[in-house]
Amino acid sequence: MLPVAPEKPSSSTRLTLSCLRRHALSALACGTTNLLALLLQDWLEPANAVMLFLLTVVVIAAKLGRGPAVMASFLSVGLFDFFHVPPRFSFAVSDIQYVLTFAVMLTVALTIGHLANGMRQRADEAQRAARRAQALHALAHQLAGALTPVQVLQHLRAFMRDQLGADVHLWQPGQAHDLVLLQDESGHEDAAVSSPAPPPQPSPSLTLLARSMAQHGTHPRAHHVEGDPDLRDGTPTHHMLLPLTGSTRNRGVLMVSLSASAAAHPQGAQANLRHHTSMLDAVSALTATALERLHFVDVAHQTELAVRTERLRNTILSALSHDIRTPLTALVGMAETLSLLHPPLSPQAQDMAEALRGQALRLHEMVSQLLDMARLQAGTQGPGSHPPLRLAWQPIEEVIGASIQLLGAALARHRVVVDLPTDLPLVRLDAVLMERVFGNLLDNAAKYAPPETEVRITLAAVGDHLQVRVHNDGSGFPADRLQDVFALFARGTTESHVPGMGLGLAICKAIVEAHSGRIEAHNPAGGGAEVCMHLPLGTPPTIEPEQP
Amino acid sequence: MSQAPTILLVEDDPLIRRFVRAALEGDGCRVAEAGTVQQGLIDAGTRKPDLIMLDLGLPDADGLRFVRDLRTWSSMPVLVLSARTAEEDKIDALDAGADDYLTKPFSVGELLARVRAMLRRSRQGSGIESPDLRFGRVHVDFVRRQVQRDDTPVHLTPIEYRLLCVLLAHAGKVMTHRQLLKEVWGPAYADSAHYLRIYVGHLRHKLEDDPAQPRHFITEVGVGYRFISGA
Repeated sequence: MLPVAPEKPSSSTRLTLSCLRRHALSALACGTTNLLALLLQDWLEPANAVMLFLLTVVVIAAKLGRGPAVMASFLSVGLFDFFHVPPRFSFAVSDIQYVLTFAVMLTVALTIGHLANGMRQRADEAQRAARRAQALHALAHQLAGALTPVQVLQHLRAFMRDQLGADVHLWQPGQAHDLVLLQDESGHEDAAVSSPAPPPQPSPSLTLLARSMAQHGTHPRAHHVEGDPDLRDGTPTHHMLLPLTGSTRNRGVLMVSLSASAAAHPQGAQANLRHHTSMLDAVSALTATALERLHFVDVAHQTELAVRTERLRNTILSALSHDIRTPLTALVGMAETLSLLHPPLSPQAQDMAEALRGQALRLHEMVSQLLDMARLQAGTQGPGSHPPLRLAWQPIEEVIGASIQLLGAALARHRVVVDLPTDLPLVRLDAVLMERVFGNLLDNAAKYAPPETEVRITLAAVGDHLQVRVHNDGSGFPADRLQDVFALFARGTTESHVPGMGLGLAICKAIVEAHSGRIEAHNPAGGGAEVCMHLPLGTPPTIEPEQP
Repeated sequence: MSQAPTILLVEDDPLIRRFVRAALEGDGCRVAEAGTVQQGLIDAGTRKPDLIMLDLGLPDADGLRFVRDLRTWSSMPVLVLSARTAEEDKIDALDAGADDYLTKPFSVGELLARVRAMLRRSRQGSGIESPDLRFGRVHVDFVRRQVQRDDTPVHLTPIEYRLLCVLLAHAGKVMTHRQLLKEVWGPAYADSAHYLRIYVGHLRHKLEDDPAQPRHFITEVGVGYRFISGA
């Protein structure tokens, strides 16, 4: 960090001497010059004595300023006339030519004094500008290294206190499109940026003004608020609110407050702040850049975290899936091998081997459902985000046919009827997931209906949706819990004899909603239970007609 | 059967190896086992098995690499074992040249049925040799390019007929979308799976009893299609 040379606000070293002393010094210098000229008068022409006086005026103008220089000019002319021009020790002039000398000497002294003083002022100004630039440079350096918005605020406070003796407040955009005042809680403990007690809270009207500035987005101009009394001692305070315009959006509002008592500028706080507009603009640009950088660092960090969490979850899920399936495959296979042994097992042992296999398959089904649900919920943390789908245009009858095929024996005791219009358009689906939906629905329909009854799937295009209804002739859903059947671990009848975990319908709902569809359960008037899905119909790709 | 067929089982789980071996030996096969891709490739070269059963999740390398490696020098049938959720792995393995797949957990009966069908196919060689073929109520006459259902002629468009022939030629074997599209429509259509789905639908409507519950043109969801001549 570069050391910051504190600059005295709009004052210079020569002004620190009181006016009277500067004039006294000026007179003393003139007297000394005169004495020197008197001592050397035997060797010195009067013209050269003039030169000595002029030199003195130049030095006084450069060192002591305009007033003493003007005084020295007149004093020099007077002293020259009195001591060096014959008749000496009298203001009378014998040779009229000396009047011209006086006139020229006075003019030259005044002009030189004026020029030297201007030069001095410009040098001072340049030095101040250099110091300010250095301080800005140091601030930029500090802001570039800041790790949090609070550190940005601390650096700003230190800078403004040193440069202008002003207070700083900073508002940042909050979570819900509002502005949040940044609080510096750690100010005292941070040794790097020693700060006194933080400035008081800004008044509500200032907060409102800052909010409206941030809302009107890219409004690039600063606002001045004059004469707001300071809450600490009541002195009128001038505030300057600067919008922090980032490259993509507004990054907040910076407020610089200067009380009249602290203002160094003779014309008060407002003039003081206006005088430094370009510096304040630079500071606000630096702050906006620093806050924007911190924002993007934060965004990048969050994204990376989300990606890593997602990757970890997928790794765990697939490892889990593999590690659970392998022993289950062995269990199912070995139980089946038992029943195929030669010579065959006793009927009792045969039954047990069958039961072993059945239970292992059931366990596999439950584990699969749990893993499916975990996978479906992965990547759906934010609102509106869905698990990744592999969408493709397909005839829905194909998906239904495949799930009937997959269920096989589970549907053997029921008649499955698919009521399908011939002109149904293609639907954009993830076939693997949708097969699971139909599998779960048909499995449920068969589980909760008496054997030899009908399970019916009815499809129809209704408006811009495909309506799919799966109906059975069972006892229906519990009438008071129609809304809850899609909840996780919800079951029609608690701890009933029917196997299952209550995940099936929850998985259906998750998949259908991932397809931007909806699913609901009801008990139709004609009896039984029905699950109704609506899937959006898009515009299917055109199929080129076959060339004859 | 002149000689007991040899089956190479590439699987890392000893318990699965044990029951698969028991089932295959009970069915009259000789079984060789390998636990890694590397060992499996060596055994495939030295033992010249009639069929390879390959687990896709092996410890040392991807099962896909095994299939690609094997297919550079051999056309012996490969049956892939994989989990239900890994459709893409299955498709990749099938596209790379595997012949069929079984989803874990599988039943012994299904395993043996697949193995028998694959061995029969590999002995017969691919292609249709007889001039006609019957399945269900359908009769296909390859010589006259005619299809009849219950002795009533069925009109198929050229693409439908070509698709039917490709499926019949690989009867029992799962064909990925990509493979079917390439054979019937040509390589330019490799990503237009909806064409395939529509034409399979046409075939079902013309040749199946219940197009929504097909018995011959079976959908392997997310993977492709399989033709089964059926009982």
